[in-house]
Amino acid sequence: MATSESSSSATDKLLVDLHVSYIQKLGERSYLTLFPSFLLDHLQSHPQPPPNPLAPNPISPQSNPRKQNKDDLTYHLTAHLRLNAVYWGFTALSILGRPDALDREEMVAFVMSCWDEEAGGFGAHPDHDAHLLSTLSAIQILVMQNAVDRMDVDRVTKFILSLQQPSGVFAGDRFGECDTRFLYCAVNALSLLGRLDALDRERTVGYIERCRNYDGGFGSRVGAESHSAQVFVCVAALAILDRLDVVDVDTLGFWLAERQLPNGGLNGRPEKLADVCYSFWVLSALSVLNKVPWIDSDKLSEFILSAQASGSYNAESGGIADRPGDMVDVFHTHFGIAGLSILGYPGLIDLDPVYCMPAHVIEAKGLRKGWKALERRQG
Amino acid sequence: MPKKPQYDEPLFAELPEWADVKPVEQYEGVNPVAPIFYTPEYTDATNYFRAIVQSGEKSARVLDLTENIIRQNPAHYSAWQYRYETLIALLPTPTPSSHPLLTAEVELMDELAVLFLKTYQVWHHRRLLVQITREPQRELAFIKKGLEADSKNYHTWSYRQWILGFFGGKGSISKDGDEEIDEDLWASELDFVDVLLANDVRNNSAWHHRFFVVWACGVREGEEDRDRVLKRELIYSKQSISLAPSNPSAWNYLRGILTHTHTPFPLVSTFAQAYAYPRDPQASDKQREIVDLENPLPSDTAELPCAEAMEFLADAWESEGGQDKIEAAVKMWTSLANERDVMRKKYWEHRIRDAHVALRGELKKKAA
Repeated sequence: MATSESSSSATDKLLVDLHVSYIQKLGERSYLTLFPSFLLDHLQSHPQPPPNPLAPNPISPQSNPRKQNKDDLTYHLTAHLRLNAVYWGFTALSILGRPDALDREEMVAFVMSCWDEEAGGFGAHPDHDAHLLSTLSAIQILVMQNAVDRMDVDRVTKFILSLQQPSGVFAGDRFGECDTRFLYCAVNALSLLGRLDALDRERTVGYIERCRNYDGGFGSRVGAESHSAQVFVCVAALAILDRLDVVDVDTLGFWLAERQLPNGGLNGRPEKLADVCYSFWVLSALSVLNKVPWIDSDKLSEFILSAQASGSYNAESGGIADRPGDMVDVFHTHFGIAGLSILGYPGLIDLDPVYCMPAHVIEAKGLRKGWKALERRQG
Repeated sequence: MPKKPQYDEPLFAELPEWADVKPVEQYEGVNPVAPIFYTPEYTDATNYFRAIVQSGEKSARVLDLTENIIRQNPAHYSAWQYRYETLIALLPTPTPSSHPLLTAEVELMDELAVLFLKTYQVWHHRRLLVQITREPQRELAFIKKGLEADSKNYHTWSYRQWILGFFGGKGSISKDGDEEIDEDLWASELDFVDVLLANDVRNNSAWHHRFFVVWACGVREGEEDRDRVLKRELIYSKQSISLAPSNPSAWNYLRGILTHTHTPFPLVSTFAQAYAYPRDPQASDKQREIVDLENPLPSDTAELPCAEAMEFLADAWESEGGQDKIEAAVKMWTSLANERDVMRKKYWEHRIRDAHVALRGELKKKAA
C-alpha cells in the first residue's frame, strides 16, 4: 500500500490487518477519529469557544495542534452513537473473521452499563435515556457475544412494543420522533429476542406499505422521498415479517440498480454522490430481493477498496472512508466490509443482510430468510 | 428569550443562581471500550442537567441549561426531551400561539435548524412546537428559505410533507393528521415545485414532492378534472425531459403518473421514440420546425440516444405484446446491455430472458 506523501492511491486488496487494528482503537483515546466525517462537518458548523476555534481542515487531525480540543468536542457530539459504534466495529471484526480482537467481557460490561433501568431499554451511552437505535445495537452485540441472558428480555420487549404508534410506525424513544428506521429496529430486535408474536404485524406492514413511492422505493415516513437507506430498513423489515409481497420487485430492483454510478459506487438518491455506506444499504436490499447481479460487482468492489485508508494522512491507520480520499471512520469501515462480504470478497465471513450480523449467528437461531449474496470467491 | 450561552461565560458551577443545585457527576465506571472525555463546559452543564432531571424541576432556568447543552451537542435527545417537557409545564393551557415563551422557542428553533440542519432532534422539536402554535404557513415559509440553501435536504423535505399532510391532510397521509383541514396550505405548492425544478430540473426531491402534491394526497380545489391534470403533468414531464433527456427523476415521474392513473405506456411511445435512437442527420429542418406541444423534441445538443428513453420504449412495446413488438423490445434491451448501459447488463439480460419466455408462450398459444 502507498506510504508516500502523494495523494490517496487505490489498492486492490482488502487491508484486513490494518482494519482490525483500526477498529481496536475503540478502546483508546484516538478512537474519537473513528467517527464519521458527517459528524465532523457538523462539528465545523458548531459555534466554538473562542480560544480554540476548529481547524478548517478536518482531514488532518494528526498534524492539528488543536486536536485535543476537537477530540473532546467530537466525543460528546458522538456520545449518542457510542453503542452503535461498538456494534459497527464488532460486526466488522466478525466479518473479517477476527471477532476476538476486542475483549468480550469489557464489551458486554459496556453494553450493560448503557441499560436504562427506568425505561427498560438501552441508551447509547451510560446515563443516556433508552432509545430504539441503541437498544437494537445492544441486542445485536449481546446476541453475537452469546450473552442475551444478561438482559431482562421481558422488559426490553415491553419497551420496544410501547413505542409503536397507532399508525403502525415506531417512535425512537418516548419523545416520539417517528421513522421507518425505528420500525426496522423494533422488528429486528423483537425477532432476535424471539418475541415477534407480540407484534401487531398487520399494522406494522400497513405502515411500510403506505411509505411505498411511485418509483418503487420507500421513505422515512408516509409521503417522504425514496432513499436507499430507508429502502433497506423497509425491505429488511418486510423480509423478517415474511411480507415481501408488498414490494414491487422489478421496479424497486431497477431503482436500486440505477443507484450505481460510472465510478462503480452507489448513491442514496438520484443525482447524489456515491458513498461507501450505500454499498450496504443498496446491496442488502438487492440481496433480499435476490437481485445483486443487477449491478456491476467488480466495479463496486473496486470503489469500496479504493476508499480504504491510503495516502499521506492515514497511510497506516486502516479503515474505510465514505469515498476515496476522505477521512476514514468506523461507520464506513463497517458498511464497506459488509458490502464486500455480500459481493463474495474472498476470505470474509458471510453477512446476513437482513439483520446485518454474521450469517452463522442468524442461522443458528433459525432466523435465516431467503436472501442471496454472490458466491464467495477463492482468494 | 433564552440567553445564548457564551463560551467565555462562567460555568453553571460558578453561577449564584444555580448554587442551590448539587451537580450529579456522570457515571464514571471505568471501561476501556468507551472512555469518557468531555470539555469542562460540557461536563459542567450535563452534571447540572442530571441533577435537574433527578429533582424534576421545570423552570425558566432549565430552558437556559438545556439550550446550553443543545448548543454544545444538538443530538443530546434527553436534553431536547426535557426541554420540551419544561416548556409545556411553563405554558398556560390553552396556550395562545402568541405566548412570548412559545414565540421565543420558535425563533430559537429557526436559528438552531440552520446551525444543525442534519440533526433529527431539531426537526422533531419543531413538529411538537407547531402542533401548539398551529401556524403551518409560517413553517412553509421557513422551509422554503431552508431549501434555498440546500434544495435536497431530506429532513427539510419530509418536514414540509408532514406539515402539509398534518394540517392540510387528505388522502393517504391524513390518518394521523389534523381534524381541521387547511386547504389554503396547498395553494402555492405547485408553483413552489415549479421554481425549484426550474432551478434544477434534476432535483429528485422536487420531483417527488410534485407527485406528493398532485397525486398522493387527495385532490386539491381546482384539480378535480383529473384528465386535464394528467394531460398537464404529461406535458410538464415531457418538456422537462426535452430540456435534459438523461434525467431519471423526470422519467420516473412520467412512469409514476402513467402507472398511478392506469394509463398505458404506449400513449407516450411517440414522444419517447424521438429520444431512443441516435440523431438522424437526414431529418429535414422542416420536420424539426413543426412544433408539437404534446411531443417536444430533444434539443440539437442533447446526447442521443438516451438510455431512459430506450428503456421506456421497450417497456411500452413489451406491454403491447405480439411477436413484432417483443422482438423490437429485445433488440432495444440488447443494445442497452451491450452498449448503452453495460453496468446493468445482467438486468437487461433478465428482461430479455423474461421476454423470450413470454414469446414462446405466445407462439405455443398460436400453434394451439
